[in-house]
Amino acid sequence: MDFDWSPAEIAFREEVRAFIAEELTEDVAGSIFIDTPARIEFVTKMADRGWLGMGFPEEYGGSATPVPLAPFILNAELDRAGAPIIGKNVGTIASTIYHVASEEMKKDFLPKIFRNEGQWAITYTEPNAGTDLGSMQCRAVDKGDHFEVSGMKHFITSAHFCRWHWMALRTDPDAPKHKGISIFIVDHDTPGLSLSRMDTLGREGTTHRTNQVFFDKMKIPRSRLVGEQNKGFYYMMQALDYERFAILSFASRVRRFDNIVGWFRRADLNGERPAQDPHTRRSLARMAARVEVGTMLERLAICRAQEAVPDVEASMNKVWGASIGDEFAQLALDLLGPLGGLWGGEHSPFDGALADEYLMAGHARVAAGGVDTSKSIVARRLLGLPNALGKPELPQR
Amino acid sequence: MDIKLTEEQSQLQDMASRFMDKECSFDFVRRMEQESDIGFCRDMWAQFAQMGWLGMIVPEEFDGMGMGILDLVVLIRELGRHVCPSPFLYTAVLAADLIANSGSEDQQRDLLPGIVAGDTIYALGYQEYSRFFRPEHIKLRAEAHADGYALSGSKLFVEFADGADTLIVVARTGEADSCNGLSLFLVDRNSSGISTKHMPTMSRDRHYQVDFDDVVVPASAMVGELNQGWDALEPALHKAVVAFCAYTNGAGFEMHEHATQYAKERVQFGRPIGQMQTIQGYLAQLIIELYGADMLTLFTAFQIDKDRHTRGYVAKTKAFSAETVGHVMDVGSQIFGGMGYMEEQDTTLFLRRGKQYQLALGGTEYWEDVIAEEIIDREPVVLT
Repeated sequence: MDFDWSPAEIAFREEVRAFIAEELTEDVAGSIFIDTPARIEFVTKMADRGWLGMGFPEEYGGSATPVPLAPFILNAELDRAGAPIIGKNVGTIASTIYHVASEEMKKDFLPKIFRNEGQWAITYTEPNAGTDLGSMQCRAVDKGDHFEVSGMKHFITSAHFCRWHWMALRTDPDAPKHKGISIFIVDHDTPGLSLSRMDTLGREGTTHRTNQVFFDKMKIPRSRLVGEQNKGFYYMMQALDYERFAILSFASRVRRFDNIVGWFRRADLNGERPAQDPHTRRSLARMAARVEVGTMLERLAICRAQEAVPDVEASMNKVWGASIGDEFAQLALDLLGPLGGLWGGEHSPFDGALADEYLMAGHARVAAGGVDTSKSIVARRLLGLPNALGKPELPQR
Repeated sequence: MDIKLTEEQSQLQDMASRFMDKECSFDFVRRMEQESDIGFCRDMWAQFAQMGWLGMIVPEEFDGMGMGILDLVVLIRELGRHVCPSPFLYTAVLAADLIANSGSEDQQRDLLPGIVAGDTIYALGYQEYSRFFRPEHIKLRAEAHADGYALSGSKLFVEFADGADTLIVVARTGEADSCNGLSLFLVDRNSSGISTKHMPTMSRDRHYQVDFDDVVVPASAMVGELNQGWDALEPALHKAVVAFCAYTNGAGFEMHEHATQYAKERVQFGRPIGQMQTIQGYLAQLIIELYGADMLTLFTAFQIDKDRHTRGYVAKTKAFSAETVGHVMDVGSQIFGGMGYMEEQDTTLFLRRGKQYQLALGGTEYWEDVIAEEIIDREPVVLT
């Protein structure tokens, strides 16, 4: 057992830090999304260094991994700095294409992803199919050389700046619900596809939006079917294991908590020093221990990922990370008294960002497979508890 | 970075697990609770010595194995799984480390081999009649005396005091209400002027009040420098605390296994209760907390062995492990419904201990204060 980073791992981390110091300008920081020209350029610079395709074969535009843990080191450093991270494009879409798609599709799309040639939206959720994705109804009717789609999706986060949709649609309405879904790659400018904006909570300019996506007799060529028809649900589930882990680094939570502690250390409110108040001190101390546990669980998942898909550990990460984010968003406001309700202005620490975080903190608990769903994954796969049908769903570890 | 146990650590864990399975059943623990005057088994202690466990962190020149706290943590987690009653923590960790690092050459030479051989058992006299663990609250006096020092006062919660040969006593020799002005003494349990009284606890373990009535000890009984006892004790105490966390994590894992097994077997409403999302949610939350506590304990032990500044990490480890073991024993018991609260039910051994573990060796308030000192009052040391 050796918790120290190896010299090679440290060298790679230093390289990433130097890159961030050089390239992370103010207009890049502050979002994990690759949604503006500055952020796209930042990610393309990473692509130029071969950091997007690490671990994938060269024939698909991939590159060697400098050290086995490099992808995790990279994401942790990006997340800590508040930069866009190597997210779903690689973690979900490229991984799935690489494992299940045709040779032609791999040769076509993997190099584009690794060169950051366009952004992607994950287009799964429907009003009546959220956590229970298997219940999705939006049909892709098989017309031979193409599929025809009419219907809608919502909560499609990156749809307003994407070039492609990674889209799940029902292809067999008569099969058991998990056995009638397929995945497609759909160009965003396909005729018949349109968008409507949904605003998430937050002040103008401080947060991101999401979208409804509508389809009116939209045609998808058969060549854009990913892998086998009607296997889509299983591809989504496998990818979610990667996604929970690849997209959710804990480092930004550590940074945000450290910033909060830093504020309380320095604050002087008309002569009252929060740093000397026993309740404030113990509350922050308790949270510091819980934040440290998040770092430990992430470490566990990273190490597990060296041997296998860290499905259980990724779910543990999800539960703890989202819960802790919620807890300290609440705590920060509690400790501020009436100042906690401020949404900007001169007396508001961080100019209202704590309120923004508070408002969306619960969202992290429900997004990308909610906390309670993730707990059930831990219960079934690690502890071997039966699923709702009374059978262990997957072989237990 | 690699978090797999080494070959040696795996062997140690297997050996400890096999030994504990064989020798430390729940019946054995109950016998120790109900029938033993000292609360542990001297034959088992002799076996610990034979297996080399008591000398794990003792330097090789004093017959020990010179291993690290990380190795120790792997071993003691298995003891915890069986809630094994033994003075291991105070003898093989606290006393061994204290004497090895702060003892005089004479003390090291004279005392360490006795720990390794299982000849001398130590208990810690620290806590007094106070809600708090901070050293400022220690009042037991040690006054200079023609033959050394004379100790007067009372210690509480001296675990295994009646089975011990030597008491490590933290006494005030100088400045009042401060962590300065304390000195450490190794006091023969049979010295005249010492009397003990059993303090009944939920755990049915062996905690004692130890009264010191002008107990005279020679000057050579002091460990470390006069009035600087806390500086000597704190690092040893930290190692004992991390080892204790491994023990309570082990107990938590064991309780969790029993609760999980029960959830698979217990049928209500025509299906195993473990099929219900509420039960799954409880058990998942608890195992996540246990994994977190376990990783943090291993991490901190590793950093202690590297001799890094770990005060904040020890405090975080204790604060979180303590909260976790309390939570696991409480919620874990509830999985059993009414049976969780029947004396005959073995898991009540865990329930009776959970809260007490949480409060032992400094409760939440103490360790949160230490964390606050480390992250608010000074530039935090971040180990990655």
